[in-house]
Amino acid sequence: MEEDELIQRAKEGDLDCFNQLVERYQREVYNLSLRMLSNASAAEDATQDAFFSAFRGIGKFRGGSFRAWLFRIAANSCRDQLRSLRRRPTTSMDDLPLELESDQPSPEDFAMHRELGEEIKRALAALPPDQRLAVILRDIEGLDYEEISQVTGSSLGTVKSRINRGRARLRHHLEQRRELFP
Amino acid sequence: MLSPYIDGQLGPSDREGMESHLEGCQACRRELKSLRATVNLLHRVTMVSPPRSFAIAKAAPKPLPAAVWSFGVLRVTTAVAALLLVFIFAGDATHLFEGGLIEERTAQQDTLMDGEDGEDGEVSDTGGVPAGGEEYVWPVSELELALLGVVVVLGGATAVLWQRRRRGGERASKS
Repeated sequence: MEEDELIQRAKEGDLDCFNQLVERYQREVYNLSLRMLSNASAAEDATQDAFFSAFRGIGKFRGGSFRAWLFRIAANSCRDQLRSLRRRPTTSMDDLPLELESDQPSPEDFAMHRELGEEIKRALAALPPDQRLAVILRDIEGLDYEEISQVTGSSLGTVKSRINRGRARLRHHLEQRRELFP
Repeated sequence: MLSPYIDGQLGPSDREGMESHLEGCQACRRELKSLRATVNLLHRVTMVSPPRSFAIAKAAPKPLPAAVWSFGVLRVTTAVAALLLVFIFAGDATHLFEGGLIEERTAQQDTLMDGEDGEDGEVSDTGGVPAGGEEYVWPVSELELALLGVVVVLGGATAVLWQRRRRGGERASKS
C-alpha cells in the first residue's frame, strides 16, 4: 500500500495501517533517538513515545513529508528524554558501540574503527542538542536542508549555521585523535 | 562557510568565490579536507537495527487516559463525600436537623391549644412537622455512619491507586 493511503487510513483510526508506517520508519526514528541520547534504553523510550504521540496526533498531519513530521515528534521526545537524563546525572552513555562501514575488516581496522566510533559518540554527545540534531539529520540520517528545516521548525539559514558549527566542533574534537583517521 | 560548500548549498556566485579563495588559501584547503573527512566519517556510521518492534498494541494507548479519568473521578467523589460528612457533622453539632425552632413552636401551640380546650386542632406549620402532627426525625446518626463508611472506602481506594501510580511513575523514570 502507498504511504499516502496508509496515512489516510491511519487518520481514520486504522491501527494496522499506522503500524505499517511504524515498521517503515522505526529504524530511522530509533537511530535518530540513539544518536541524540547516546543511551539505548532512553532511545527505546523516546522511539515508543514518538510513535504513541504520532498515532494520537496523526489527524493533525496536513501533508508534506511524513518522515519530517515524524522526526519532528521524535526530536521532541528526545528533548523530553534529555531532560529526564539530566535529572539523573549518574546515567552514563551506554556501551552500545557506534559502528562504521568498513571496506577492509582486518582485526586492526576493527579495533581502530571501534575506537573511532567511540570518539564520534563522545564528540556528538558534547555538541549542543540543536547542533547535534542538525548534524545527525544531515550526515547520519541523510535529510536535505529543507527537510531539516521542517523537522526543527527553523529557517534554512539557522539550519545551515547549526550544521556548520556542529561539524566544525566535531572536526575539532576528532582532530585531537588524528591517529585514528584512516 | 565551508560546510554549505561541501553540501552544494552555495549559489553559483558564492561557490565560485569560495573556489577562487580556496585556490589561494592553504589553511582553508586544509580545513576543507579535514571537514570532508569528518563528514565522510559520519556518512559511514551504520544504522542499528531496533531491538524490538515499536508497533502499537491494539489497546495500548487507551489505558492511561482511562486510569487518569477514574483516578480523577475517585478523588472528586471522595472529596464530595468528605465535605458532605463534615456538613452533616456540623449540622448535627448545631442541632440543625432536630427542627428545634419548630418543636418549640409546636410545644407553644400545644400549650395554647391545651388552654383553648383543643379547638383548632390543625397545625398549619408543616415545615418539620407533618400536618398530621407527627414529627419527622432525620436519621442523622445513620447518615453519618453511612457517609463515614463511604469516605473510608473511597479514601482507601484513592490512596491505593495513588500509591500504585506513584510506583508506576518511579518505575517508568527508572527504566
